[in-house]
Parts: sequence; structure tokens; C-alpha cells
Amino acid sequence: MLATPAPSLAESRDNAAFDALLWTLSRPGLPRDLPEPGEQSIVPALLDRECLVYAADPLLMPEIMRTGAELADIDKADHVFLGAMATSEPLADIAIGSDYYPDEGATVIVRASLGAGSGVRLTGPGVDGAVTLQLGGLPNGFWKARAARLRYPMGFDLFFVDGARVVGVPRSTTVEEL
Amino acid sequence: MSLTALTKPWEAMSYGFLDGSAKRELRRKMLKSVAVPGCQMPYASREVPMARGWGTGGLQVSLTLVNPQTRVKVIDQGADDSVNAASIRRFIARVAGTPTTKDALDADLIQSRHRIPEEILREDQVLVLQVPNPEPLRPVQPNMSIARQMHADADYGRMWLQLYEQIVRSGRVMQGASYPSLVHGRHVMTPSPIPRWDVPKLHMAKHLTILSAGREKRIFAVPPFTRVEPLVFSDVPYKVEEHGALTCTRSGTTGFFMNEIPRDDGSSAFEVSDSEWGVKTIRARDGNGESRGETWYKDGEMPQ
Repeated sequence: MLATPAPSLAESRDNAAFDALLWTLSRPGLPRDLPEPGEQSIVPALLDRECLVYAADPLLMPEIMRTGAELADIDKADHVFLGAMATSEPLADIAIGSDYYPDEGATVIVRASLGAGSGVRLTGPGVDGAVTLQLGGLPNGFWKARAARLRYPMGFDLFFVDGARVVGVPRSTTVEEL
Repeated sequence: MSLTALTKPWEAMSYGFLDGSAKRELRRKMLKSVAVPGCQMPYASREVPMARGWGTGGLQVSLTLVNPQTRVKVIDQGADDSVNAASIRRFIARVAGTPTTKDALDADLIQSRHRIPEEILREDQVLVLQVPNPEPLRPVQPNMSIARQMHADADYGRMWLQLYEQIVRSGRVMQGASYPSLVHGRHVMTPSPIPRWDVPKLHMAKHLTILSAGREKRIFAVPPFTRVEPLVFSDVPYKVEEHGALTCTRSGTTGFFMNEIPRDDGSSAFEVSDSEWGVKTIRARDGNGESRGETWYKDGEMPQ
């Protein structure tokens, strides 16, 4: 009879990171806490050799390379780390999947500041009525660029990371700029 | 990069049985299935020590989500004590060290075969449903490539035709379980073989529901506060099973989904299907304290 295995530190961190990601993507606009600040804990929870990754931030590269994921151009990548964005141009190239396989739309992780800056009103699945989210540090025209790419069920899913806080905005969410 | 950075210490078994790559793939697919509610996402269903078709899809989702603090409840057709439920519960506890419970209000994660508990689930709870056949279009389109095209086009005319034919032939919709339902106004899904009684519980619920089919290698989800509308005609309203007036012979509770037990004289006795609800009712009746939570159905009716 085998003893019950105990989770390693890495296993616990990945589990907690995914728990935060799943919870916040199911309830768009409501932030959760990652086990560690920044994108560091998202990378090992989601990525491995099966993934094609684009990262705009060179500081994330060592963490991504450790997972064995392959680097790819932004239009081919299934996981896109945009870091702190200066322009909204990268959104124009992100993979949105197809009507046959909406799951090929990318997961996009962006750095932003929560609770500061301009507000957006979110409605859609996961939102009880409507929720207002304040997001700072995003380039001008970010939400317009997102809306221009979305052809539900095609689209990409966003996570905004601010320190250890993460908030999800899936493609199913309707975003209205206030 | 050194060799030690690439290797991990030896373990007799990974935590939660599944290896890291299986969990990461399930995580990626769960995020996508939440982002597109009701849309079936393909995934590489791994081998688990259980036969395909006995809840392996649900088990893989549960094993990915659990940590040693997650309190797990497993139900099979409403009962906590049937073989399938007991085996899965014991397996999860053995490989992940999770506490288990039979109380729906006490659980963090509920894996279920073919029923949703009668008590309202909270927003911090996750419901995992085992799905034998995830494709609602299969009865009308056995070719799954064409079915995928039909989902892509939102071409669901044949689903309505199937319901219409049932009404013409039998005078009512004959679909008992797995009632096809439109999620977020876009994708038709099968809510797994839950009875019609349970489908309205998914509509605008507070909890997250993940549906996983291990044999068919597909996963889909219903996030909280998402529209789940059974396919109906405007002049033929959706009807749940007529169990609202039935009383359980063992616990005396009335107005919940019942199991029909045939008797020798040709008549039937009824027992409440959600076994823990029955247990709680008996406990309250015998004066051992009230532990029942609020239920979706009130007096045998689902409030609109």
C-alpha cells in the first residue's frame, strides 16, 4: 500500500496559481491572488513542451525556457506575455483560433495596475449583472484593439497581472469603456 | 542549465496521481472551456486506474484541481454510497490526501455522475460532472467532423427537428436526461445525463461547473452567471419531471427528485434521489439538529 503522496513546493505553487487563474477567469473583473508576484508563477503552472510562447519581456525568458516551451512569433503563439504594454499594436497579431477550434485562441498575460486609471464595465458570463474594473497602465486604444479582433467564439483571453493580483477578462466578456 | 535543474527528486507517485504534463494540459483546456462556455474543447484524456466511461473525465479534472485542503464530495445518481461514488472518493483521498464529506454544503469540490445536489451551491464551490457522451448533435449527425462544422456555424436546426418529431410522435418531448441546452446563446451542449429536473439549476448559478468526458476526450464548462436555456418551442414550454408532489417513503421529504422503486403489487414507492438530503431530513426529523441548506426547488417548484 502506497503512502499518500505529499505535494511538493512547486506542485502547491502551480495548483494555487491555477486556482487563481480559473477563479478569476470564471468571474471576470474580480481579482485573485497569485502565490508569487508577477508572471513567475503562471509560467510553470500552464507551460510545457507542448506550448508555443511569445514573450515581450526578456526578463521572463529564463523562466519560460525552463519549462521547455518553444518560442514563437506572436501570431503563432498560444501563450503571449506582453509585459507592460507601450502600444496596443501587438493585439492585432495575436492568434484568435477558428470557429472549429476556438481553443486555439491565445492566452494573453499583460501587466497593468489594478484600481487605478480608467474604468471599464464588464458584462457577460461569470458576471452577476455588471462589474466595474479600474485598470491603469494600458496603452490608448487597448479595448478598441481587442474588440476589433473578437469574433466570438474566436478571440483571445486576457489576464492582467499587478504584483500578485491577477484579474481575467475572457473573450466572452463584453467590455464597455467608461 | 544544469542537469539538476531539469530533474526532480524521485517520487513513488505524483501528487494527485496525474503527472505534471497531464495537469498542465488540463489547466490550459479548462481555461479555454471557461472562456467559451458550452463549447467542447478536445484534450488528451490520460489513463487513470478506472475503465473509460466510469468517470475518468471527471476524475482527471478533480485530480488537477485538488490540494490537501480541498474537501471532496462524490455522488453517483444522487447517492454518496454507491460503488462508483465510493471508489472515486476513496481514490481521490488516497492519492491527494484530501478530506472527504457527504454534505453538499461542506464540500469545496463536488464530482457528480448524473445529478446536481438539491441544495444551492455557493460561489466558492466547483461542480465537476462526468459526461459519457459530450456531443448533443450525435443523434442527428454521427459524423463528428460535420458536427464540429455545425457547432462552428451554430447550425442547430436539426436539434429542434428532433424535438419536433418527438412531440409529433409522442405528444411530448421524450428526452429524459441530457436535455440539449443553449449556453450563453451560442453553443448547444449536453448537460451530461442529469434529469430535466436539474438543468434549470445550471442557469445563472453561483458556482462553476466543469463537464469532462474522459472516453470522448472533451471538456466544456458553464461559468457562474451564465445563461443555460433548454431548447424549447415557444408554444411547448420546458417541463421537468412531475416529482414536485411526491414524498420520500424513508425520510418523508416532499418536492424533490425521486427514485421510483417498483413494488410487487405493481405500484411504486419513491425515495429521494439526493441521498444526503434524505439523511439530513431524517436527522432533523429525529431532533438531531437542522443541517439542511437552502434548496433550488421550493415546494416542488423552481422559482423563476
